[in-house]
Amino acid sequence: MADQLLDQVREAAEGQIDFKGQELAELLATILLAAVGVISFVVGFINQDIKLALYLGLGGTALTLALIVPPWPFLNRHPVRWLPVGGVEKKSQGIMMDGQVIA
Amino acid sequence: MHSTIVRGQNVFGFFTTVCFVVAALIAASDLLAPRTPKATVAVKDLQVVRGRPHYYSTKKEEYAIIRFSLSADLSSLFSWNTKQVFVYVSASWPNSTLGDAGKGEMVNEAVIWDTIITNPSADHLQNIGPAAMKKLVRSTKGKTIDPSRGKLELKNQKAKYQITSPDGKLAETDNMVLKLHYNVQPWVGVLTWTPQIEFGSWKKVKGGISKAFKLPAIKAKKVVEKKSA
Repeated sequence: MADQLLDQVREAAEGQIDFKGQELAELLATILLAAVGVISFVVGFINQDIKLALYLGLGGTALTLALIVPPWPFLNRHPVRWLPVGGVEKKSQGIMMDGQVIA
Repeated sequence: MHSTIVRGQNVFGFFTTVCFVVAALIAASDLLAPRTPKATVAVKDLQVVRGRPHYYSTKKEEYAIIRFSLSADLSSLFSWNTKQVFVYVSASWPNSTLGDAGKGEMVNEAVIWDTIITNPSADHLQNIGPAAMKKLVRSTKGKTIDPSRGKLELKNQKAKYQITSPDGKLAETDNMVLKLHYNVQPWVGVLTWTPQIEFGSWKKVKGGISKAFKLPAIKAKKVVEKKSA
């Protein structure tokens, strides 16, 4: 019971995502941060307002962190399907009859 | 990117790179903003008096007390990346003791007056009282930059600092001139002083030097002796 609870906590803290999710997270983080940088410079320059540029940059980065860091479900849509142990279903004890698994 | 910690590290790491690049762009954007300051400086009143450098000093030095007029337009120095502009007026005169060896004249230079002009983005950094701060902030409400602050009109301004020379002698010094200098302090980038050469769209100060003048002789002491018992 305690072990199970601990495992759940550990899993939540680790926040693992699947391989496709990792690729997506990497791509999103790069694009978003670069876009935030460009937008904050351009908007700041046009408005001649350096504080606006600063706050846009910091705000955009905070949003990016919020989107990328937690293990959101959209990063976990392709879970890895492991093969059963020993090549057979776990429930089966591998008793064969007439070439078929019966138990 | 498999776990929370790694994702946090990666995003933050790239954030620092973006920060650096944006900061470099902001610093570079200063080069696009033309700087065309102009100014006229004129001496109004001159006085040389004798005094002590500090209360317990036995040495007496000569101090020049200078009044001047300054009309300057430094508004082109204010861009979005300007934090504040330090403006100062100096007096300079050829140094007769060091001008040997045929290497041209050395010049003594001393600052007689200065001021700090902040961009509205840096008003909160000014070291002034709450009432003056309120007034300053209200003067440019809603504006992010205020080039009109770069326009200075000083009439018969008293110098902030009385100057002397290293040897303590200053009376009847000839060929003294007043010069206007500035120092632009940006939010991001390098400090820039009054340019000695034209650099892209950054021009030298137009004018900014007074006519040469000669300091008067030491002011005669007033013969008003108090009768003290």
